[in-house]
Amino acid sequence: MDPKMDSGFLLPNETLEDSYNVLAPILPEEVIGIMDQLLCYEMAWHTGYPLSQTLFTSVYIDKLLWPEPKTVEEAQFYRGDLPAGRRPGVLLEVLRAYCLALVKCCDFVIAKITGRDYFEEEDFCTHTYNRVLFVQVPLDVFLRELDAAVERMEDTDLEMSSSLRKAIISRLDFRRDFLRALDLDCPLEHLSNYWPPILSNLTSIFTTQQLGKTVPGSFSTKIQRRLASTVPPRPIVELEFKDAFEKLKQLCIDCEEATRFTSLEPDPLEYQSFLLVFASRAPTPLPYSRSYLATLLFHPQILNATSSLPLTDVRTLVLPCSTILSPANWSFSPPRNPLLPKPPRLQLALLVDEFIERTGQPYLDFWTALGQNTCRLRRMLTHVIGGWDQLQTDASIVDADLMRVVTEMGMRDEVMDSPLTVWVYQKKLWMIEKCVLLGFEQDIYLPDEYGGMYHFLSLISGRRKVVLEAISAHFVTRARQLQHADQLPEAADVEDGAQHIASLISEADGVSSLGAALASFYTVLLYLKVLPRPARPFSSQELRFELRMKPFLALQPPEVPPFKDWLDKVQPYGPYELPSPSFLADVQNADSQLWSNMDANIKRAKEAFSAVMKIGATNAKCGGVKEAWARDVKGVLASCVALGIAVAGVRSRVARSGGGIKMEVEMGVQGLGIGIEIPLMGTAKRYAEGWVVAKVVKG
Amino acid sequence: MSESNHAPLNADALQYVQYDGDKEESYLPAIRQLISKDLSEPYSIYVYRYFLYQWGDLCYMAYDSSSTLIGVVVCKLEPHRSGTFRGYIAMLAVQEAHRGKGIATKLVCMAIDAMKARDADEIVLETEVTNTASLKLYERLGFMRSKRLHRYYLNGNTAFRLVLYLKPGTASKSPSGDMMGGGYGNMGPETAARGDGVMTDARSSP
Repeated sequence: MDPKMDSGFLLPNETLEDSYNVLAPILPEEVIGIMDQLLCYEMAWHTGYPLSQTLFTSVYIDKLLWPEPKTVEEAQFYRGDLPAGRRPGVLLEVLRAYCLALVKCCDFVIAKITGRDYFEEEDFCTHTYNRVLFVQVPLDVFLRELDAAVERMEDTDLEMSSSLRKAIISRLDFRRDFLRALDLDCPLEHLSNYWPPILSNLTSIFTTQQLGKTVPGSFSTKIQRRLASTVPPRPIVELEFKDAFEKLKQLCIDCEEATRFTSLEPDPLEYQSFLLVFASRAPTPLPYSRSYLATLLFHPQILNATSSLPLTDVRTLVLPCSTILSPANWSFSPPRNPLLPKPPRLQLALLVDEFIERTGQPYLDFWTALGQNTCRLRRMLTHVIGGWDQLQTDASIVDADLMRVVTEMGMRDEVMDSPLTVWVYQKKLWMIEKCVLLGFEQDIYLPDEYGGMYHFLSLISGRRKVVLEAISAHFVTRARQLQHADQLPEAADVEDGAQHIASLISEADGVSSLGAALASFYTVLLYLKVLPRPARPFSSQELRFELRMKPFLALQPPEVPPFKDWLDKVQPYGPYELPSPSFLADVQNADSQLWSNMDANIKRAKEAFSAVMKIGATNAKCGGVKEAWARDVKGVLASCVALGIAVAGVRSRVARSGGGIKMEVEMGVQGLGIGIEIPLMGTAKRYAEGWVVAKVVKG
Repeated sequence: MSESNHAPLNADALQYVQYDGDKEESYLPAIRQLISKDLSEPYSIYVYRYFLYQWGDLCYMAYDSSSTLIGVVVCKLEPHRSGTFRGYIAMLAVQEAHRGKGIATKLVCMAIDAMKARDADEIVLETEVTNTASLKLYERLGFMRSKRLHRYYLNGNTAFRLVLYLKPGTASKSPSGDMMGGGYGNMGPETAARGDGVMTDARSSP
């Protein structure tokens, strides 16, 4: 027998069923122990393990749920009638109320998660093995059970120490608050009231955990045999109390944070910032918290806001105070005679409607991706980008029609070239950048790929900056036009809107400059042979480039650079093993362009990110998450500083090394005394997760 | 490592053999034993047969001088729904006492060569993100990390998907008409062997 393969196999003399007696009286300490153990399994389930290996290993819960009770009254630790003397005592009744509420919590959790996009097993296991988790029973029934249990506990006839009594009551209180917070029908306006009471109650559970006494016999793997499943029994998942407690706390904090979504400015760009910041919270939010936020995002009250979200987005970015989006356009009726041309303004309205409808799916896909775990987010983004590439083609067709109409109307100079295409393109480029940055965040790239990938990032953000500059120029023109027309409030609006564009330009400039500086820094390190470079007998640089560019190969624009062009950039001095002599000359000369370009790019990146900071969170459309936003910008600024130090470190050591450098570069001999430490993900050694800055140490 | 004293010191004394379906009775029990000891996921006999019946020639074994099986690699090669002819390294294991001698590398190289000879476009596998030795082994050969797979394994661990392109143009391949969903007819790698590539061989500290 192989215990791993043949799980569930009975050992000699082992019984098929458990002999644990659920009706036997239990001690208050044991009630605490069982409740806390259940909490551990509940949180293990939240992290992604199936119920069969967690909560459903509890004999008590099994008895409540099977055989399936028709009513809550029937859901007892026994079925049928019991003689008066054998009825469960007060403590068992209290435990039952707790378990009932716990099961209902699971029901709410499953409903919330399955109501949104999630991935079975990867994120969460929704399987209930034919057990019905009181789906039809309303919340107040469980609240009543819990209230009755608290009353029983407060009964002075019940003899037990006050600390034990308090500990049990605090667990019942917690369960009541938690259940209420998980309720699917919480009104949007009061959401934020639900989580703080739970959080304030948690400490008392944590500090009284040591009062509990475990009851190992009340949990068993054997129950799995009776659960409808195709997999053999698997071991119980043990999550330690302190870890489970941390998870629970995190869940409450994350959900409380998510409730802030309802008080954001009704602006899709604010929503986007909020989603991004939430997705990158550390530790990464549990599936329930992500679903909780996604449910708010996709809530009819949010999604069906008076103004369409994509439309607001388009207006903010490319069509400020534009006739194309004038509400009046939607008040025209088509002529009775279908052979007559439609009024131009109606044509505009129809074209915009057509485009906004076309945008709906890619727009939702993007937001759905932002609600996933970050591994999934990176992979989904590559598909979303493909969708937006298609959208860009369609946008250009609508743009041509729009241009025709505004030209007819004699308003061509009020509109920038191809506004919708520009809008899509700008967003698509941003997504590509995000994809690459997530690759760095997740340690997808190996150190000898850093140079090439940061170069690619720099290229893409450079493109985005050019696009944004065209937008910015239009904002200037538009403001001037409005001033001339004496439409001063509108002109002021456009000028305000230009601040957002300015923020985006600075950010794109910063990304592009810092990317360029890092690309050239890591390239130098490769030539100096201080970065690990695997031999890779089965691969070639061209094949690896193709693999890295795969998600972007079909895009047009931006076209992936031809391999030869890319190679010229990442191997400016020829092969790393045998660089041209000019490398030695450049690297040893502290004033060479090699070093001065690096310094200039770092300086420029610093200035750009400082400008972002100065323009502020509100103009960055991050007003709802300004603390996190400021932390992120500061993190990138710190990365710039760290890179400056690293560059200076390498430069001075190379200068000091004299002849050593020649040996190092030409023969790969360790003579430079340069060591490199790459800060890995999750080690808290990066100032910004997407910006990997190596630390130079003594080699 | 003290264990290595018990093993033959001369790596030349090892024998590398291609799996042979006619000898299933002698080969398979030893393979199962070696792999089930090392991999975290439970594999049924059907998982082994799924691979070995169809791609026995992509399975290589290493024997020590006393004819004990000490290492094995199990693979498959078939058209993938992306349109590529895709190789997949499903299992790799080397007995603990024999680790650190390049046996796993040698086995993987033999498998790659065999798949190359059969015109594979690419080879993929998954390995746990914490299995640094395994990552090193494959990355030395040219594999790249293409994806991070959250909670990929039944034990809750996260994996990297590793990919090695063998031919230019692989990234741009697309499914041809009759190939649509071709990968679904069979048990896909994910269902056949979720734990593939968990190479505990390399898990021992260097």
